Amino acid sequence: MLATLPEEIEANLIEMSRQGDRSAFGQLVSQYQRGVVNVVYRMCSDVTLAEDAAQEAFLRAWMHLDSFRPGTSLRNWLYRIAVNAALDHLRRERETPADLETVRVADQANGPEAELLQRERSARVQRAILSLSAPNRAVLVLREYCQLSYQEIAASLDIPIGTVMSRLNYARKCLRTLLENDL
Amino acid sequence: MTEHASEWLNAYLDGELGGLRQRQVEQHLERCAACRAELEALRGLSALLRETPPAAEFTPTGRFVTNLMLSLPRHPDASQPRKAASLGWWLAPAGLLGAWFFLRTVLTLTGVFTAADATGLLKQANAWFTGGQPQAAWFVAITSLFGSQMSAAQQSTLSLFNQVSVFGGDLFSGFLWQAAIVLLYWVWLAAWWFRHAPRPMKIIF
Repeated sequence: MLATLPEEIEANLIEMSRQGDRSAFGQLVSQYQRGVVNVVYRMCSDVTLAEDAAQEAFLRAWMHLDSFRPGTSLRNWLYRIAVNAALDHLRRERETPADLETVRVADQANGPEAELLQRERSARVQRAILSLSAPNRAVLVLREYCQLSYQEIAASLDIPIGTVMSRLNYARKCLRTLLENDL
Repeated sequence: MTEHASEWLNAYLDGELGGLRQRQVEQHLERCAACRAELEALRGLSALLRETPPAAEFTPTGRFVTNLMLSLPRHPDASQPRKAASLGWWLAPAGLLGAWFFLRTVLTLTGVFTAADATGLLKQANAWFTGGQPQAAWFVAITSLFGSQMSAAQQSTLSLFNQVSVFGGDLFSGFLWQAAIVLLYWVWLAAWWFRHAPRPMKIIF
């Protein structure tokens, strides 16, 4: 992952992007691409789908940069758009990306044992997240991977804070059961 | 609080509790080993989720950015008219205010010159009692009905009242104009805010 951009430089890049500077926007994308793809991947567990949704998220961000409020977190804003794009993709795909076999445990034979164990654990985590319903998964991903506050999650998903709390409680309860051996 | 604090532990972990509820949970945790263990398990789960990298191989950042750049639409061109329109939103009320200030200045200067002329400063002192000054309707009516029967002192007093009346009328009309301009400006600002207020992006299931 690239080093975090200083605030002033990021603000400058945002302003330049607003004025149509593609190169400035490219630097912002480089900064956040990996994080955005990871978040979307957590939502759908399909690399191609995740990258398509991430691309769509950045396109939406480019088109709606005027609605980004200076002084707020660009990362959170991008993550929210990305989760939105992922949900749109899931709806289009009728929520069938959950082909658990595609969760890759690649290069098992060639890597060292520690890497293999790590990959297996990653696959278990991803399967567990994928077993949640889309609404519960969205709340969990926004909280755990985007670190949004309950208020921000409620605003993003257009649901009451009480619902955010109950979905998060439920999602974590399920994951604790599913990942009992990894905890 | 009920026997255990399970209901609030997630929010406590996420730093979403405050005030009394937070103190209650903290006090409960001090004396309840089961809830402390549950909180630790939740902490462990969060750490596991955040620290476990996805078991997938993604397109390298450089290639992703290049592909994205190729598909970016020409949004800057579209933003230019919006910028011009946005400038218009500021110029219109500023123009309105400018026009009003110009009008008020012209009227005030006219009033000053008229008053100076009426008081003889512009060597037309004879106009003081001969209609050279603005006259209120009531003044015209009284002088036309009883003017011939009035003494010079009465006429002078009446003329003074007329001056005060005309001045007050001007002041009131000026105030009305100002109030109308302020009201218009507020309406304009409200409309501008309505058009430009950022709206949160919604995700709808």
